[in-house]
Amino acid sequence: MNISDVTDEAPGVRTFRLNFQNEDEGKNFKFQAGQFALYSAFGYGESTFCIASSPTRKDYVECTFRQAGRVTNALSELNAGDTIGFRGPYGNVFPIEEWEGKNLVFVAGGIALPPLRSVIWNCLDLRDKYKNITIVYGAKTVADLVYKNELKEWTARDDVNLVTTVDPGGETPDWTGKVGFVPTVVEETAPDSKDTIAIVCGPPIMIKFTLPVLEKLGFKQDKVYTTLENRMKCGLGKCGRCNIGCTYICKEGPVFTAEEISKMPDEF
Amino acid sequence: MEKTLKKEKFNSLITGLKDKGYKTIAPKKDNNLITLCEIQEADEIHFDHVQTNNSIKEYFLPKTEKILSYTIEKTKVSIEEPEGFAVKSVVFGSRPCDAASLPIMDKVFNWDCTDKFWIERREAITIVTIACDKCDSYCFCTSVGLAPDAKQGSDVLLTKISDDEYLVETETEKGEGLIKELETVFSEPPSGTPDRQVATVEKKFEIDKVKPWLDENFVHKIWAEFSTKCIGCGACTFVCPTCHCFDIVDECTMSKGDRVKNWDGCQFKMFTLHTSGHNPRSTQDQRWRQRIMHKFKYYVEKFDNILCVGCGRCSRVCPADMNISEMLEIISTDEGQPEPVSKE
Amino acid sequence: MIEALRKKAEELLKNKTVDVVYGYGEGSVPERTRPVFITKPEDVNKLTWNKYCVYNLTTYLKKQESRKLGKPAIVVKGCDAKTITVLIKESQIKREDIYIIGVTCTGIGDPPATKCKACDVNTPLIYDELIGEKIENKEFSFEERYAELDEYEKLSEQEKWDFWQKQFEKCIKCYACSSICPLCFCDRCIVDKNQPQWIDPSAHPRGNLSWNVTRAYHLAGRCINCEECQRVCPADIPLNLLNKKLAKETEKNFKYRSGYNVDDELAMATYKEDDNQDFIK
Repeated sequence: MNISDVTDEAPGVRTFRLNFQNEDEGKNFKFQAGQFALYSAFGYGESTFCIASSPTRKDYVECTFRQAGRVTNALSELNAGDTIGFRGPYGNVFPIEEWEGKNLVFVAGGIALPPLRSVIWNCLDLRDKYKNITIVYGAKTVADLVYKNELKEWTARDDVNLVTTVDPGGETPDWTGKVGFVPTVVEETAPDSKDTIAIVCGPPIMIKFTLPVLEKLGFKQDKVYTTLENRMKCGLGKCGRCNIGCTYICKEGPVFTAEEISKMPDEF
Repeated sequence: MEKTLKKEKFNSLITGLKDKGYKTIAPKKDNNLITLCEIQEADEIHFDHVQTNNSIKEYFLPKTEKILSYTIEKTKVSIEEPEGFAVKSVVFGSRPCDAASLPIMDKVFNWDCTDKFWIERREAITIVTIACDKCDSYCFCTSVGLAPDAKQGSDVLLTKISDDEYLVETETEKGEGLIKELETVFSEPPSGTPDRQVATVEKKFEIDKVKPWLDENFVHKIWAEFSTKCIGCGACTFVCPTCHCFDIVDECTMSKGDRVKNWDGCQFKMFTLHTSGHNPRSTQDQRWRQRIMHKFKYYVEKFDNILCVGCGRCSRVCPADMNISEMLEIISTDEGQPEPVSKE
Repeated sequence: MIEALRKKAEELLKNKTVDVVYGYGEGSVPERTRPVFITKPEDVNKLTWNKYCVYNLTTYLKKQESRKLGKPAIVVKGCDAKTITVLIKESQIKREDIYIIGVTCTGIGDPPATKCKACDVNTPLIYDELIGEKIENKEFSFEERYAELDEYEKLSEQEKWDFWQKQFEKCIKCYACSSICPLCFCDRCIVDKNQPQWIDPSAHPRGNLSWNVTRAYHLAGRCINCEECQRVCPADIPLNLLNKKLAKETEKNFKYRSGYNVDDELAMATYKEDDNQDFIK
């Protein structure tokens, strides 16, 4: 793929917009929200990121990553015009058809907004199919919030209720959003659980504290979705690395309901 | 099809295979090791052993192999896929346990998308198995539903019927084809009932009791107690004919490189380590549990097969005497003893 | 000797002098023993001592799974005890944090291990309690101590290179050699580092050579030649030959033998102003 655009989202976090070098491949490429792909920095290796753009926007594919290890550091050295490798889409999808006619609450923390961005835009692009859409998004500090331009877009829309927050101590003098940890803000926002699907993504600690809040608000486990991560190499169910118990995250995930997760062994 | 093969015909067999363009892989003795490796002459073959040091796995899933090559020119990258990796071969002298590992692993390598490196090699290689006429205390094929003369995975099965003669039975069309290609080497089937010399492998545990225990005991003190002595070296996963976990790495020099597939193992500390530093299996007991669970529960649930053929290599090679059949014995007798009770 | 060993272990556990005893127990076949970790006085009958007690149990001092059992007493032979001296000298353990149960030993392994031929530590050089009759430690000449290298040293440089190329071809990169070695205690081995990837993890000639040679170099001047790496290698590579050769060179050039005296300064980790500088040209 060609990198057609690079955006620095936050310190150490970058988004690539990618176009297929082979136009026919680009035309035939299909994916659904929730799926991931493996991106190569040739010479350094591959890394797994979710596809962060929506399947409704067909001309490109986007991914967002944080500089953390060998491959992501190599990727962050690349610029617009450079080639990266791409293979996918892999994994299962958010069942957005089943959510039609319902309210949606998206809860994300920090670098975990990218996995949800695909499904958020997918639903916003098909806005009429859903009732109320609420997004609760928080990060450690204002600088760590990703997709800052899109956050502005969502705030400006009157068919989306966006609640942003930063951790206590992470606010700047001109910050107008909330201050507080994401689980606390979810509790404050108190979305109605009736006919509502919750989609949560964040660091393990955030998920750990958010799920009980949602339960308290009346969300049943099979109405709460999340997307899991584990170390991956092949993405195809062969290399035996990403399993949690019997479940291969690359084949039977990464999208799971809280109910499915409660049945998995405590090994992630 | 049934035939016999006399030992004096081994020379003709090996020469015949060479003439027909087959690479021959057979057990060969090299100092203390008996290894399955390429041979040129029949007198290199060694058959007086219980088990070879390496398993047949490395001819289908090599310890390292290139899966693609790339050339980087400025901002453009061109990719080349490897060819010619599946060499027409015959494995002459595999054991039934090793042969049985192949159809078991076929399931994962054909699950949804197919692994062409595995599949093309499976097509190119013919397996001639020799039934075991002896075993040692590490063997436990009969405990996992196999036998010293099991047919699974073999194209041709040889069974010793006298000091210098083998009964030859073809199990697949491929096997039949091989025998027909070299029919002058083989003799007519024996008259009467041949005296099959097959080892008696004592059953060590009831396999039916293992999965039910594993279903209930993800958390159990025995995982830590049994694995304290484990040093996490991964030798067990590498010599095992059914362990197939692998790693993919890029190796390059400036502008040219290869993407390589290497053996990897769940017993290594870094196997599941995330870049963030989080490790879902950070202690050895969790990794030991994963090995047992994967082989005797997860693979069974996914593919209806135990991911173990009872060859015993892991226990033979283990530096710390972690004996897998002992662990399964403990599990199946439901005692959950922390350390095996002293034999005294 | 077995009775005396069990009695001592029982006493140490009952008095809570230690929380766990690392010892040898019966193995899965008569020709093997296995490492056992005795935490209860009533379990001391699991301890044994015979010619199959080949393990160097000090390797468990680097593992969190065994360390979390508490303060250990370790059963050590003379060769194993040398490891403890090096570990203390390299600040990996404190002398007071372990209890050393030394055993006198006249050779292990069946057939007897190569290292036992010129063994000068039948009685360990460091211990808190000695099990068995004290044996007068023999002294061997420099040539006698490195006699196992004689055949190897007759090879030309090219022959030596070819020999090692052939041996390392067999390597499967299981890292058993490093896992069993008590002195390979780096939290993150050089082979685990990937920014940059100093050593290729692949089991091809370059990857195998770079791994085995790097490990030999990192052990040069430190290895006490317990031969455990050679014992555990699934590919039967004579790893100790390389380590023994480097030990010989260390003794020749630095007059240093690893593990003999806790007061000796480490050959590779000590700087003196009057150090010989002629290797820097």
